[in-house]
Amino acid sequence: MIERWALVSGLRGNLETYDLIQRDLKKTRGVTALFVLGDLVGPECNCDALLDRLKNPHRGDLKPDCIYGWWEEQLLAERGFRGERKADGLRLSQGEDAVTALLNMVNPSHLNWLASLQFGFIELDCALIHGSSSDVGDNLTSETSPLILLDRLTRLNVNRLFTARSTKQFHLELTGGGINSQVKDLNGKREQQQEVPKRSVIGIGAGVNYTLYDVGSDKTHFLTAGSQTKTKGMGFA
Amino acid sequence: MNHAIISCLHANLPAVEAVLNDIDRQGIHTITCLGDLVGYGPQPNEVVELIRKRGIATCQGCWDEDIIDGLNACECSYPSQLAERRGHLAHQWTDDQLTGENKSFLASLPTSLRRDRLLFVHGSPNSQHEYLLPDMDAFAALERVETAGADILFCGHTHQPYVRELRDGSIHVRLQNADHDCGQGEELTLPMRKIVNAGSVGEPRHGSTNATYVIHNDATDEVEIKEVAYDVARTCHAIVEAGLPKVFAWRLSHGFEFAEQAEDSSHVCER
Ligand SMILES: [Zn+2]
Ligand SMILES: [Zn+2]
Repeated sequence: MIERWALVSGLRGNLETYDLIQRDLKKTRGVTALFVLGDLVGPECNCDALLDRLKNPHRGDLKPDCIYGWWEEQLLAERGFRGERKADGLRLSQGEDAVTALLNMVNPSHLNWLASLQFGFIELDCALIHGSSSDVGDNLTSETSPLILLDRLTRLNVNRLFTARSTKQFHLELTGGGINSQVKDLNGKREQQQEVPKRSVIGIGAGVNYTLYDVGSDKTHFLTAGSQTKTKGMGFA
Repeated sequence: MNHAIISCLHANLPAVEAVLNDIDRQGIHTITCLGDLVGYGPQPNEVVELIRKRGIATCQGCWDEDIIDGLNACECSYPSQLAERRGHLAHQWTDDQLTGENKSFLASLPTSLRRDRLLFVHGSPNSQHEYLLPDMDAFAALERVETAGADILFCGHTHQPYVRELRDGSIHVRLQNADHDCGQGEELTLPMRKIVNAGSVGEPRHGSTNATYVIHNDATDEVEIKEVAYDVARTCHAIVEAGLPKVFAWRLSHGFEFAEQAEDSSHVCER
């Protein structure tokens, strides 16, 4: 059987969206894994019901594997799970009210579970991370300099990086190129040529916009939960 | 105009004096120091005071940072537990010796200095603890210089001096995307950039006991790696006298380290 992953992010407490995606996935052939790449919580609505569902899947749900994202990082920092650090990123970008809203939307009983989530998964030759190995808030898009994208891939030594932070859906392949380097030290000079490895960065989207990835053929499908038009040809029953 | 860049003095006064003499003799007036004034060596106060007295522009090194912030660096700085224990010993000793005034000076140092298109850092623009080794992935090396917005990046921390030129780079990209499938793709031409590692004045590990530093000519961009002999025995003696780990004296008298470097040069300390 071909392996097919579903990649989801940016639910931000929205159980309805998650439910729509689960329904889609039930109708999609061959989905073997569901990865939720962070931002399970957010300041817009109460997150408790979604977190309960992720922790205790309904019968028939594809079991989610979750990592933490930028919003969890803010919440956990503010709640004292990150040493001295507080929700500085959120405070700086959206102000004190947003911090208060976020705290109010997540029952503290969920904090230990959220704190137990990993930073990312390495599956086969793929890294699944909310931002990048550089930072959970690393905002990678198809417009990001390929030099930076290549650096993020190199740091993890993977061929594919799935990222969610930008909320964009894209599949950017590095297809070629190279660089010359000359090192001079007290022993003399040496030249090196290096080629660009064939690697890619995939933005998986956020909320109702999610991604299916066919591992064997390296194909991505960008979908919107609940919309039948885009999902045609995806093996929907 | 020629200017000199020194790094990793590591409380080795005879080495620092010898290098400064060598620079003075050539009539070079601009000196930039890339940090690690203290650690390993026996004269932390003397070295800090000499740098302060001479008014040498300095960025903060990994040791300078740890002395101020406490040893909360992640273990990536140390390749083995033995190395870590020795490092902690030297840290404690240095912490006990340094005067409050000298500690405040180290605390006041910036993590980077910039002059036009030249950027000066201790480890990398990301962290005082990141090693930019001469053979690290060329694209990752270029990314460090480019993201920092510099033409030439001066760094230290590895204790091995080198000049690396990165040129003729390009990356081809293609969007695989259901919405707008542009089959052609694009090509990004990468700029030419340089990384200059100043080596180490006070704790050389390039295979010789001589102190190293570099001279850069900002008109021609030529870089010369300089070696200076100094009284190694004097410093070794002082290390043993001070009760610091003898391996530090051994390392100085051999000029290389024995498995004492973090293996993964691309590792970034995330503390
Ligand atoms: Zn050093
Ligand atoms: Zn250092």
